[in-house]
Amino acid sequence: MDGFLLAGSVIGVVSALLCIGAALLRQPPNDITILSVAAVELFLLVYAVAAGVRQAGGEPVLGEAWEFWGYLLTALVLPVGAFWWAILERSRWSNLVLAAAGLAVFVMLVRMEQIWDGVAGL
Amino acid sequence: MKHTGSGGAGGPGNAGTPSGGGANPAGRSDGGGDSRRTHGPGRLLIAVYGIFALAASARAAFQIATKFSEAPLAYLLTACAAAVYVLATVSLARPGAHWYRISVAAVSVELIGVLAVGSFSLLDPQAFPADTVWSAFGQGYGYVPLILPVLGLAWLYRNRPAAPVAA
Repeated sequence: MDGFLLAGSVIGVVSALLCIGAALLRQPPNDITILSVAAVELFLLVYAVAAGVRQAGGEPVLGEAWEFWGYLLTALVLPVGAFWWAILERSRWSNLVLAAAGLAVFVMLVRMEQIWDGVAGL
Repeated sequence: MKHTGSGGAGGPGNAGTPSGGGANPAGRSDGGGDSRRTHGPGRLLIAVYGIFALAASARAAFQIATKFSEAPLAYLLTACAAAVYVLATVSLARPGAHWYRISVAAVSVELIGVLAVGSFSLLDPQAFPADTVWSAFGQGYGYVPLILPVLGLAWLYRNRPAAPVAA
């Protein structure tokens, strides 16, 4: 899943940087930051479908399959939750909430990649 | 103090007021600096706590369901950590002196936990065959578990209720 890791990392980190930048400019969440988080969620959906197809096609997760899917389901919740929490009170701090989602998804993608490749020691 | 359900002054369910933090009129029912606690930077703190609550809960459920017998102590610790994070998230998000005290307790327990587990995991690695959130002071999580309770306590201290209130 290396291509996916690269794509997902870029999307997550770029989204986080956009949100941090908007927060530094004292902006409340705007179309750009919200759409960047939506892109993270969209990527995760594609990632989930691709992982499902590859597993169904006889390419097993080398680590713990349950853990892989646990991470993926948790990651899918994060952008939605961050969006909900960020628009309840729209301040520049809300953009940092959105940034936290992108960064957390990035970290979780790295862990998912490790589990997929069987590197995981946990 | 009164804490009747829906938390009068801008609880998390109050979407109406886009106040940029600190813009609340004084004299709300939960009084003084405490009404600022759940707004502005406080919401970022709550969000990060929420992420850890979610991640630790999912991890604990996974570990206990699939391989509890391998390292019961470590997995029970993960479950405790998850419970502390959930309690901290909820209490930080609720206005009022009652929830303020609960969040101080939860964040303090978190700090003691990460210091104790971090020290033990380095001094006696055999006792911790499997990693927990707090192993090696949260090294596996970029030391965020160590930094978070310090920031949390600082935030709570800055936004402490104006006067000691007898519940």
